[in-house]
Amino acid sequence: MRSHLLVLLLLAVLALLPQVAGQYHLTLMIPFFAYGIALLGFNLLFGYTGLLSFGHALFVGIGAYAAAAITSKLGLRSFELILVASAVGAFLVAIPVGLLSVRYTKIFFGMLTLAFGMLFHSFLFKFYDITGGDGGMRVLRPSLLGMDLSTLDKTAFLTGPFYYYCLVLLGFAGLAMWRMVNSPFGLHLKAIRENPRKAEYLGVRVRLYRLFAFLISAMYCAMGGAILAVSTGLADPELAYWTHSGNLVFMVVLGGFANFLGPIVGAFSFIFLQDQLMSLTQYWRFFLGATLALIVILFPRGLMGLLQDLGGRFRAAEAPAPQRISHELGTERVNP
Amino acid sequence: MLSLNDITVDIQNSRILRGISLAVGAGELVCLVGRNGAGKTTTLRTVMGFLTPLSGTITFNSQPLPGMPTYRVAQLGIGYAPEESEVFGDLTVEENIEMPTWTRPRGRPALERVELAYKVFPKLRQYAKRGGTQLSGGERKMVSIARALALDAPLLLLDEPSEGLSPAIIPTISEGIASIRKLGRGILMAESNVHHIPDYADRLYVIERGEIIFSGKPGDVRTRPEVMRVITGTA
Repeated sequence: MRSHLLVLLLLAVLALLPQVAGQYHLTLMIPFFAYGIALLGFNLLFGYTGLLSFGHALFVGIGAYAAAAITSKLGLRSFELILVASAVGAFLVAIPVGLLSVRYTKIFFGMLTLAFGMLFHSFLFKFYDITGGDGGMRVLRPSLLGMDLSTLDKTAFLTGPFYYYCLVLLGFAGLAMWRMVNSPFGLHLKAIRENPRKAEYLGVRVRLYRLFAFLISAMYCAMGGAILAVSTGLADPELAYWTHSGNLVFMVVLGGFANFLGPIVGAFSFIFLQDQLMSLTQYWRFFLGATLALIVILFPRGLMGLLQDLGGRFRAAEAPAPQRISHELGTERVNP
Repeated sequence: MLSLNDITVDIQNSRILRGISLAVGAGELVCLVGRNGAGKTTTLRTVMGFLTPLSGTITFNSQPLPGMPTYRVAQLGIGYAPEESEVFGDLTVEENIEMPTWTRPRGRPALERVELAYKVFPKLRQYAKRGGTQLSGGERKMVSIARALALDAPLLLLDEPSEGLSPAIIPTISEGIASIRKLGRGILMAESNVHHIPDYADRLYVIERGEIIFSGKPGDVRTRPEVMRVITGTA
């Protein structure tokens, strides 16, 4: 109950943010929403199913290029259509990729997904006529819920209607994921992560459930990719590059993959940490890497794990001193 | 119900089972007794589809099992409680027990199956919201058997249900197994300790180095000193 209230409070704060925050920080919130959605899906596969993919940037790329193809090539502007096309495109690509990948686990799964990601990146890079090669493809401003917002300047569009659109989308994506992970489907995934053989004893179709998790994670990542592409106005092959897959892993580890909100916290922290470091030093990558190393060593459960530990200590300090019950005498006495 | 005929199994080029044959009928409690490494767990795992026999047949209700994936064997109605009392630590006791009602939804209603599991091990009801990692060895064993029962399986395979438990908890497990038998479920129980074999067992198979060296009534085994020496570890 307390966590539900906290989430509602956070959503309310995010809804009020455009009234108080500057435009620069509001534009940073768009990638946060994008990664928040993508990582909710990514963590279904990593945190809940126990499969660490190093190739999910592939699906972020599919979302971005779907947005580009629909707006630039087909001349359609509906963002709802872009989201559906991104999800469907990712779903269709994820079927063969997932079917081949979920046969394996651990490093083999990671390497296989990395290989598929690299294949897709090569395709984007080399097939210039279709994808625009290293220059990428332009993503034109979409309409939101049928409203043509082309009269707004880019910043006003991103910090106004698009901000709220993405916030609502993150809310719905989060709610859908919350229901999923707390349904029998989610419990099956947790069981598979803990011990796939044990799960099979109980009749769980391990590979099928892993495939479902893979497909769902791909669709979430693609929707995140579509938002990223709209915010920059470009579908860039770097979105599908393996270092971007590494960033997804980084964000989830930073926030804490064992917690439902961990990926969202990770996305937020990563974006603002990266932004601050980039403004401070040209060696920002070094400090970002050092931060990840420190977090893995000191707080393996990520920032959410750290917050939970601090909360637990606070509650323990607030709680009344424990009472020792003397069974022999049938009396109660308070510890000194 | 379950019938194994002349089953031979190799693991990494070592012959583990050599022509095993046994049968479990509906409502029967059948014990497979043998020392550690004799092939009891391998027999159960072969039934569950984790190992494929080199030769021989396994049928469950006339349906051949070899080659069938494990999840299908479970969905057919064979509940397996492995030796390691495998309980999902991240799931509560309640979720652990409910899980088979989702994987095998046909048959009795889920609520009825879960209630039946709690009826067999009433102590588990008070731990329903407790996580799997917060249970003692005996409680984990109870959850493991209750979960296999919640599959609504006509046949249960129990691998050493008393292994590693304190003497205080063993009677609770034994009572639970007796209750399951009274429900008309067939049970194939692997056991290394001959003293843990219930008196009401219908049939006993003694396995040694992958071969069945005795089959018959539990009382009859005591008239075979050479078999007794094997299962008491004095051979």
